[in-house]
Amino acid sequence: MMKGWFVITCRQAHALLSRRADGALPLMDRLRLRLHLTVCDWCTRVSRQFQFISDAVRRLGR
Amino acid sequence: MNTADTLRQTVGELQPTLLRIARLQLRNDAWAEDAVSETLISALEGVDRFEGQSQLKTWVVGILKHKIIDQFRRSGREVSIEAQAEAAEAETFDEIFTQDGHRQHEPLDWGDPESTLSRTQFLEILQICVDELPATLGRVFMMREWLELETAQICKELKITSTNCFVMLHRARLRLRECLELRWFAGKKMA
Repeated sequence: MMKGWFVITCRQAHALLSRRADGALPLMDRLRLRLHLTVCDWCTRVSRQFQFISDAVRRLGR
Repeated sequence: MNTADTLRQTVGELQPTLLRIARLQLRNDAWAEDAVSETLISALEGVDRFEGQSQLKTWVVGILKHKIIDQFRRSGREVSIEAQAEAAEAETFDEIFTQDGHRQHEPLDWGDPESTLSRTQFLEILQICVDELPATLGRVFMMREWLELETAQICKELKITSTNCFVMLHRARLRLRECLELRWFAGKKMA
């Protein structure tokens, strides 16, 4: 693994997860995030939770 | 009471919810009341076309979304100042991450959260969590996730940079996640 190039922290991964929900990620960020998610259960969990929050918010008011 | 009367009553009952949503988005009571009045008038005119209440609500909320977006267009610069001020504020997320970027605590496993979506009580908690977001953060987040505007459109309406916009949306998601975990999922002991 090319450290420092592909490896990101959970903090950075969280930011990319959110960014991904608001528009397409650049290729490198997509790769970094995908790699991080394959090794990080916590961020994978948060990824699903962000998606869930988005689905849930759309139900408010109806 | 026939079906149309029932539906008219449903429209009337939606008013407080619509008004709260419009106020959050527009930050101006007069504009919010105008948007809601126009929405209710359109809704009452079209009520005969609907058979069910849930379909009607979705439709009414859809009308309100358009009225709010129209008002953004008309009010232009007036709505933007507060957003710029809040976007400039630094955010460290110290309570969530350590200095080297790890999470302080394990995020709880929420189990199968989709099953909670139909529960009124859960949606009430979610609404409380949204209401507790700092005002501008809540507004930007709801523009994105509830009005379903594109990020570029939000930046344009509020005259903020896309970077600020992404940061605010991220901040809102993290806060909402923490709030839901604390107020709902932590108490559910989900496996």
